[in-house]
Amino acid sequence: MGFNGAGSPFQRERQTMRRFLLSTAALIALACATSAQAQTKIELQRFFGACDADYGKVTDVSKAVGECGIITSLINKFEADNPDIDVNVTTVEWPGYDQLNAQLASGAAPDVVSMHYSAISDYQSRGLIDPIDDVLSAQGISPDSFTDAARGGVTKEGHLFGLPFDNWTMLFHVNLNLMKQAGLVNADGTPILPTSAEELIAQGKQFKEKTGKPYLVQILANETAAYARVLYTLLQQQNADFFADPTKITLNTPEAKNVVELMKKIKDEGLTTTGLDYAASVTSFTNGDGGIAVNGTWLIGDFVAQSEKEGTALSGGYTVYPVPQLYPGRDSTYADGHSWVMPHKDRTPEQTEAIGKLFKFLAENDFQWARTGHLPAVKAVFAMPEFKALPHRENIAEIAETGRSLPGAVQRQFAIQDIIGEEVGAAVNGDKSIDEALGSAESRINDLLANI
Amino acid sequence: MAESYRRSQWSNGLFILPYLSVFAVLLVFPLFWGAWLSLHKVDLFGPGRFVGLGNYTRVLADPVFLQALRNSIIFVLVSVPALVILGLFLALALNKTTRTTSFLRGLFFSSSVLSVTIVTLIWRFVFIPGDGLLAVISEQFGIQPVNFLSTSGWSLFSVGVATVWWCLGLPMMLFLAALQQIPNDLYEAAALDNASPWRVLTRVTLPSIARTIMLVTIIQIVMQFQLFGQAQIMTNGGPNGTSRPLVMYIYEVGFVRWDVGKAAAASEFLFLIILVAAMAQYVISSRKSEVSE
Repeated sequence: MGFNGAGSPFQRERQTMRRFLLSTAALIALACATSAQAQTKIELQRFFGACDADYGKVTDVSKAVGECGIITSLINKFEADNPDIDVNVTTVEWPGYDQLNAQLASGAAPDVVSMHYSAISDYQSRGLIDPIDDVLSAQGISPDSFTDAARGGVTKEGHLFGLPFDNWTMLFHVNLNLMKQAGLVNADGTPILPTSAEELIAQGKQFKEKTGKPYLVQILANETAAYARVLYTLLQQQNADFFADPTKITLNTPEAKNVVELMKKIKDEGLTTTGLDYAASVTSFTNGDGGIAVNGTWLIGDFVAQSEKEGTALSGGYTVYPVPQLYPGRDSTYADGHSWVMPHKDRTPEQTEAIGKLFKFLAENDFQWARTGHLPAVKAVFAMPEFKALPHRENIAEIAETGRSLPGAVQRQFAIQDIIGEEVGAAVNGDKSIDEALGSAESRINDLLANI
Repeated sequence: MAESYRRSQWSNGLFILPYLSVFAVLLVFPLFWGAWLSLHKVDLFGPGRFVGLGNYTRVLADPVFLQALRNSIIFVLVSVPALVILGLFLALALNKTTRTTSFLRGLFFSSSVLSVTIVTLIWRFVFIPGDGLLAVISEQFGIQPVNFLSTSGWSLFSVGVATVWWCLGLPMMLFLAALQQIPNDLYEAAALDNASPWRVLTRVTLPSIARTIMLVTIIQIVMQFQLFGQAQIMTNGGPNGTSRPLVMYIYEVGFVRWDVGKAAAASEFLFLIILVAAMAQYVISSRKSEVSE
């Protein structure tokens, strides 16, 4: 081995180094390639809040409580069960449609997005979301497996445009401890709830006299949804067909006036908390600052958890009922629901299959989601003994029949809700007369709908 | 001047090309595109159709726009003088080189580095009824607490308080910089003339920083007409739209209702208002300096 040969120690060292570098690079490239091949990535965007600190690693879904905990652990479980699929979750501020709009406008939409049934017609009518009939049938999910209300919520022009996940409504969450103090509890321990508008005022006054606290805990500040949902519910109870034509609302009616007058009277008589936004109203109810929280199905799980703890205002004294029928027309309550939609975009067949698997998993685990308090979208869940055993579900089971949404063809339901909330809020707070507020709401909504 | 002009070459302009291209792409192009959109019936997702000035007549006929315009003007009329006067006061008080003043300068400026979310969260703790700071204090004194964020008048006021607290740092710093530019001999001369502190302030200090006062005023007018985040998070424009500023109106129309053409038309009005306000200040300030010369 001469000094000038290829095998000089110097050269040998360089060659070894080069070989080492090359093989490392090859290894890295190989690793990247295999991981890219093995894992199909899908981007999922949702509201329901962020709770990674508590549930970031939890895969035992039965341990989770509340919307955020349950959906986070459901996705964790799905990823654990399907190591070949990587679900990249982005959490957005409720309801997240601004962000989605920006993403759709810039061609950067995620693969799966949480969407209210009431928002689907906006996106479907512009071709921004894809029908999912084929994705479901490929996984053997029959549309008949969903409840009528849930299927109706996502069906547009004969196609399913989202995986229905639940139905939800506003409810009367009752603090039985305070209701007992107010003498508004029957001998069997159930609360005495009003059966007419007059009774509501009378019982509210009785509650206030006995406990010194407001009867209702409502979200009256910094939010519009609560006003709109109560108005829709009480209009439905009077058989008012305020959206007979889906492109035109009729609000200048005696029925609407009845409702707003009632809401104003509740406020004027001091029978409700005032000035609370969503978060403050939830805290206020759990602190025992009022008798009945008018809030959504999604809080049942959290409130039950509170009632099972010692030393809270709800300890051993929580129950929940649908918004009572206050008008003789019919028993009805405004309902909406959550679904998972697929924005229109190019996907690989693997991604579509992965989304299908995710949808199947979510449908199969709809019972877990129903533990939040939402009504299941999958029919079979209603028959499950575990579901029947969940607390208070028998009280609210009737919502499956009495829940009604706005007609499916009504567009911009979130914008309409904002206008109603603002105008009805103005009337309730005395900033406007009731007639003026209803007239203004009607003309603003009709201007909006006429200019779509 | 003439010498440097002779020596200048067109290729020197290349130095500003990087800035100019970013300026053109991110400011000039959107400006004209916005004007073009305002003439169309268009949503966020596709081509629209030409409607001429239809969007402008719709905006002007919209009582919600007029209310938002009024809110924005009131907000600017109240918050800008507050920012200028408080900023000037703090700058005068802290225009010394001691450790305490350096610390306080940093402290007063520190709110400016916070994001709008943090600022509104802090002030929400102050204003929220029930457990809020003001509610707790007024209950201590047996006063019925005001629902600051959901009462007409108070809601815009609350947004204004949070805004002034948040934005005060920049005016203070600009005033401090200007105060330190004033030649010391002016003060020495005033001292020799036995001038009172008030006379020194009104005859020496304020005239010397007149241009900075004008600059701060213009910057604040332009900034406060763009109020959005604080109002959206603290009050959501309520109650009854009494704290909805113009930018929030534009956001709602464009992004919630997808009526981008109408939102663009409203934006053109906002652009015009800010332009007029800035130009008016500019004209007044240049005229004043001519008089003094």
